[in-house]
Amino acid sequence: MKKRVSLLLALVMLATMFVGCADKKGEEGTSTSTSSSEGGSKTIALCTEDLETEFWVAAHKAIVDTLEEQGIKVIETNCQGDANKQLEQVKDVITQNVDGIIVIPKDGDTAVAVTKEANNADIPIVIFNRPPTSDEGANITVVCDNATVAEACVDYMVEEAEKKFDKTGEKLTPLIMVGDLGDPNAIARKEGFYAAIEKKPELFNKVIEVPTEWDAATALANLQSAVQANPDVDFLFTSSDFLFPTIQSVLEPLGKWVKVGEEGHVIMGGLDGDATAGELIDEGIIEGTGVQDVYNEADLAISGILDAIEAGETQPDEIREDPGFALTQGNLKEKRMDMWGNILREQ
Amino acid sequence: MSALKSETYRQKKPAKQVIQRIFLSEYFILIMSLIYFVCVIPFAPRIISQSNLLNLLSNLWPLLVIAIGQTFVLLLGGIDLSQVSIIGVTSVIGTALMSNSFDPAIFEGTPLWGWLIHENGGPLAGSAASVPVSIFVMLIIGTLIGLFNGFFVARFKMPPFMVTLVTQMFLLSFAIYLTQSRNIMGLPESFSAFGTKSLGFIPYAAIFVVLIALGAHFILAKMVLGKWIYASGENEVASVVSGVPTKKVTLFCYAMSGFCAAAGSAIYSARLGMGRPTLGEDIMMDIVGAAIIGGTSLSGGKGKVMWTLFGVFFFTLLFNTLNLFNLSYFTINIVKGLVILAAAFLDVIRTKLMTRMSIVNGAGV
Repeated sequence: MKKRVSLLLALVMLATMFVGCADKKGEEGTSTSTSSSEGGSKTIALCTEDLETEFWVAAHKAIVDTLEEQGIKVIETNCQGDANKQLEQVKDVITQNVDGIIVIPKDGDTAVAVTKEANNADIPIVIFNRPPTSDEGANITVVCDNATVAEACVDYMVEEAEKKFDKTGEKLTPLIMVGDLGDPNAIARKEGFYAAIEKKPELFNKVIEVPTEWDAATALANLQSAVQANPDVDFLFTSSDFLFPTIQSVLEPLGKWVKVGEEGHVIMGGLDGDATAGELIDEGIIEGTGVQDVYNEADLAISGILDAIEAGETQPDEIREDPGFALTQGNLKEKRMDMWGNILREQ
Repeated sequence: MSALKSETYRQKKPAKQVIQRIFLSEYFILIMSLIYFVCVIPFAPRIISQSNLLNLLSNLWPLLVIAIGQTFVLLLGGIDLSQVSIIGVTSVIGTALMSNSFDPAIFEGTPLWGWLIHENGGPLAGSAASVPVSIFVMLIIGTLIGLFNGFFVARFKMPPFMVTLVTQMFLLSFAIYLTQSRNIMGLPESFSAFGTKSLGFIPYAAIFVVLIALGAHFILAKMVLGKWIYASGENEVASVVSGVPTKKVTLFCYAMSGFCAAAGSAIYSARLGMGRPTLGEDIMMDIVGAAIIGGTSLSGGKGKVMWTLFGVFFFTLLFNTLNLFNLSYFTINIVKGLVILAAAFLDVIRTKLMTRMSIVNGAGV
């Protein structure tokens, strides 16, 4: 009986495989016929890494809403921070004959791996916000000029530091919360920070680097240790705004979470431009933040993928850059509503 | 009274008997998988496309080999939580050995710089034997870590959960420390081919995993060592009294688990084309879940390589179809959790039913 059952099951599996193989030709036929038979209706896959920060949530919503408004079917996946799973998910959406793929990659190296898969399948791919670590393969990379935006934000912080130095004559102790260094954005933000700091080295003690891995729990543990070891920290830059609540939980008990101009105030800035940062700037707790224009980046990604599909380009290769800007206490009145986080708050 | 019960069983309708037989069959999960597969076709026709089936299989091989290793430990009534970190640490070390280049700007600050890795790559960079030697080193390291776990469990009777949890935490941090959280790129083409290309129509990864699976099956089904493993998991005290070298058996099972995790790491790293310290960090539920769905018991003494294959097949199929249905990630996780719970529940029911039937048959036939 067991042998008969095994044989039967093996035959069923083999039959399935043959059906699958036989379907290959049909599959190839379908990929061209889908767009023609359905009068140009398109399917685009959006493969996200996670949706744990305001920036990713806003980006996800902007992309999905815009595509759906245009009558485009969106297939979504979320790898929850697992690079291997993201690769599997991209392979899965490729089997669904999507017309294009937009990926928010786990990191720059994963962007290279998923680009390779899309190129092999001749499907145009957009890498959103986290650029690939190598120029291997062809993709449309939508990215903010992170180094320049970070530098602009820290430049303002340095101006404030100089005022403090002139007043007290004491050097400031700077701290940077560094992102995952597998992510080129984190590296660029760190470079932007140092570029600004090094313009006025006479103002600062040695920089303290706190690794965060883009993870709130890791950031909390490392920041607590760093602040205990260096209680005189008075200049803090976070590579992402989503860490401000974490910073608050560390600084508040020490009496350092206070407004600009008050005793014990830490000069602070971040990068992203989310609603929390907008609120903190309005309250006068932080000096400023570098703003990535999430709506502009979503538009660049969507127009990029749709242009490639329309032109029949399967391996478009270009970089579309969001210039970004810094919103600070200095330019708050003029630029306040240019920041996506503030737009979200108003909504 | 027993004779009467036995008579009742004999008089059951054939259809009911067939269902009962299928339910109690060791092929139950495979049958369920195939029924599920067929039922899904009308709703997601793409499931039978060649590209999807190839995806399905390429996702199956690494998980299968890791779950086979876990099966050995589960057979003892233990668990190996460190497998996920063995994947990360072996991925980093193996790829560091074979990588052709390292960017000094990124890697200069890592503890590996200067003595193991340089601008021109790892110590095996450019060598024809770099890929097999690196994979061999990965397997050795995995085995040694497994032996370390096994030593503490066997020698000091420490709870496997605690020992392997500590090893997991240590190794994850160690892997991140080694590269300071950077991924290792610049791997030889032949290594990527190991994870993505085929020999004829059989993927290299499949050949690698099938060889290990056959070896594992041979050990469990044909060798005395296999009988010792089952006996140790069933009743350790009775096994010791019967002369089974339970300590050596425990050492072997944990070493096998580490070896298989390293084998899975080689495939995952090759597929991704990089070494990652956090590779495999989130797949513990998939590994244990697949083994349990296959029918391997968490309390030890029950399980087979074939069952694990069925469990992994079902698990991979389930995940694949949930993706094809475009369900949200939290729905997918909820479904996965429920399926594992259902599998564990079914296992209890089947075990009870089989025990009852064997009692009835034993008394009445």
